[in-house]
Amino acid sequence: MKLKLFAAILAGKTVFWLSRLRGNKGTSLPGLVARKFYGDSLRVLAAQVRKEIIVVSGTNGKTTTCNMIVGMLMDAGYDTIANREGANMITGVTTSFILSADMGGNIDCDYAVLEVDEASMPKVLAEVTPSVVVLTNFFRDQLDRYWELDKIIRVIRDALSTLKRATLVLNADDPLVSQFSDNKLLPSVFYGLGKHQRCIKTNSQTREAKFCPYCGEQLIYDYFHYGQLGKYRCPNCYFERPDPFVEVLETVTTKKGMECRLIYDNKDVLLNIRARGLYNVYNAMAALSVGLRLGVDVDIVLESLGKYRTVTGRMESYVYHDKPAFLILVKNPTGFNEAIATLAAAEGAKDVFIAINDNEADGLDISWLWDVDFELLGEESSSYLCFICSGQRGEEIALRLKYAGIPPGKITIDRNIKTAIGNALSGRAGSTYLFTTYTALWPVHKIIKRLATEEIADDQCLSSVSGLAESVRRPR
Amino acid sequence: MINVCHLYPDLLNLYGDRGNIIAVKRRCQWRGIPVSVLEVSLNDDVDFMEQDFVFIGGGSDREQNLIAADLLKRKKELIKAIENGLVILAICGGYQLLGKYYLAGDGEKIPGLGIMDFYTRSGDKRLVGNVAVEIDIEGFKLKAAGFENHSGQTYLGNCKPLGKVLAGNGNNGKDGLEGARYKNVFCSYLHGPLLPKNARLTDYLINLAIKRRCMNIALDPLEADIEDQACLAMLGRLGFGKITN
Repeated sequence: MKLKLFAAILAGKTVFWLSRLRGNKGTSLPGLVARKFYGDSLRVLAAQVRKEIIVVSGTNGKTTTCNMIVGMLMDAGYDTIANREGANMITGVTTSFILSADMGGNIDCDYAVLEVDEASMPKVLAEVTPSVVVLTNFFRDQLDRYWELDKIIRVIRDALSTLKRATLVLNADDPLVSQFSDNKLLPSVFYGLGKHQRCIKTNSQTREAKFCPYCGEQLIYDYFHYGQLGKYRCPNCYFERPDPFVEVLETVTTKKGMECRLIYDNKDVLLNIRARGLYNVYNAMAALSVGLRLGVDVDIVLESLGKYRTVTGRMESYVYHDKPAFLILVKNPTGFNEAIATLAAAEGAKDVFIAINDNEADGLDISWLWDVDFELLGEESSSYLCFICSGQRGEEIALRLKYAGIPPGKITIDRNIKTAIGNALSGRAGSTYLFTTYTALWPVHKIIKRLATEEIADDQCLSSVSGLAESVRRPR
Repeated sequence: MINVCHLYPDLLNLYGDRGNIIAVKRRCQWRGIPVSVLEVSLNDDVDFMEQDFVFIGGGSDREQNLIAADLLKRKKELIKAIENGLVILAICGGYQLLGKYYLAGDGEKIPGLGIMDFYTRSGDKRLVGNVAVEIDIEGFKLKAAGFENHSGQTYLGNCKPLGKVLAGNGNNGKDGLEGARYKNVFCSYLHGPLLPKNARLTDYLINLAIKRRCMNIALDPLEADIEDQACLAMLGRLGFGKITN
């Protein structure tokens, strides 16, 4: 066994360095090769994690939530292993352990934080035993791969039934997630967003969970946050939004992010995050719930979340000749809708760049663009000076914008990603927003890094911005 | 005034198919024709004779079954309107519902509305990918592009196809046919959605709806520059350079 493991690690690391030399990121191939040499590589290495393994799954927010958890564990002084962004299938998870192992087959870490693709949960949980499983939300994502949400939920249910001891950290606001608390063996902890100023009464956005998972009755909502997230109850049976252990009650958008009034365990604290959008509030609440469950000091958790910086594409800020520019990764209707809400809420005139690719990792089917409420931009089209459409399906996003009510004169199609970004950055508006799908992100990122300066948020700015800071007692 | 009716938008809302409604609505509005959109869900009242364009999309199995039961109650009315020339676009699951039956993998025969002569059987592999088809519009050949994603394989009986498959699978991946047509009922497996980037087909449907009302309006020509570019981007990738011959 030792010899096989040695061979697997050697092969995996070699493949990693070879693919690095060729300019690839090498996130999945090393794991794939290592597993060919020794099928139990992951099982044997993961069993060496000293404290606990945390698995994060769900449609949106996996990467950010994982990074937030890793950040707080590192800040608390723990050695932590994590898989790299996007490499969230079993080969990617294996890669992260292979690269962390020494040649003797030893892993030296306290925690492992693993982002796991929904469909890969059965395979990963067959080899790795987490003590915390976070489920963020379930939305339609890459429909050609996961054509039915019901099926994904069934698959994850089956995978979880193999665990004997673990805590489920669940989003209370998503009925598709909160239903997992009926697991008789595994205890659940909920996080959620309370009624706040941006709540909506009705929701035209694509909603997934219209029916009670138990009795099939249509759910009644008191309010929505976005998608099917909100306060719901079944008029027929007992199913309803559970009371969260961690709950954000108020949010204020600040210059650099958001300030949130957060209640946990009857304590009232202030949570700062350097990112915008309600989805990031959810990510932070999920991470905080995990931190509390693991017994990390809450001051360290809050401080760590307060300095967390978004990774590539999750609303990165740049400056181009004094003009702010924001880069945002979009993967599905819900994420794009939230990004559009952020764009619409920003003041002043804006230039917009959108790159849509249809490679396997983006989803071969781009019809989901028609489920995104671009009409919100069409109604306020005077706030937008230009829309530059690029990527392999630039024509299709241009078409979508035209039918959303954007005057065709403001829409340009430019397949050349370089000139397209250049023109969007140098447009006449006060700021530029760049949206891209997954495989377009890296080329866009490369080009924008060359053209613009990345903005590093100032540590001090949040505490002085809003009135909320005075009204809420800060944790000591 | 054009009355557009969207059947079960709350249940059948897969794959951005609401784009078909958006396309009809915009192309009427841009010509100054007012449009009203009626969304109809389970048990809602609707008079099909009053409608000009009806759209029905696809959904997951649970939703399909709910809808089949609801549509069955409306069958007589629906047939009457179809015989009267009502324009209907049915995509994917909505398409299958109009046929005689669906043969599930376990051998169960789930009855359809039986309005058109075709049946669907569950296939062993999903047919997924980009599609190019050639549609015959009153002797005029038109190339259309879309995306298919279905496991059901449909076989036509005494029923015309909507078009010929140029690339992709279409109805069943075997006989080279895509969709079905009866009177002014158009059925297709193409998502994408179908109408926005195939603007000539959209205009044809609008024309048929107007003709049925005996309104003597000739449709103003409308520029379709971005529409054609979006269609050609896909046709080009699949090896076809022109929309019309």
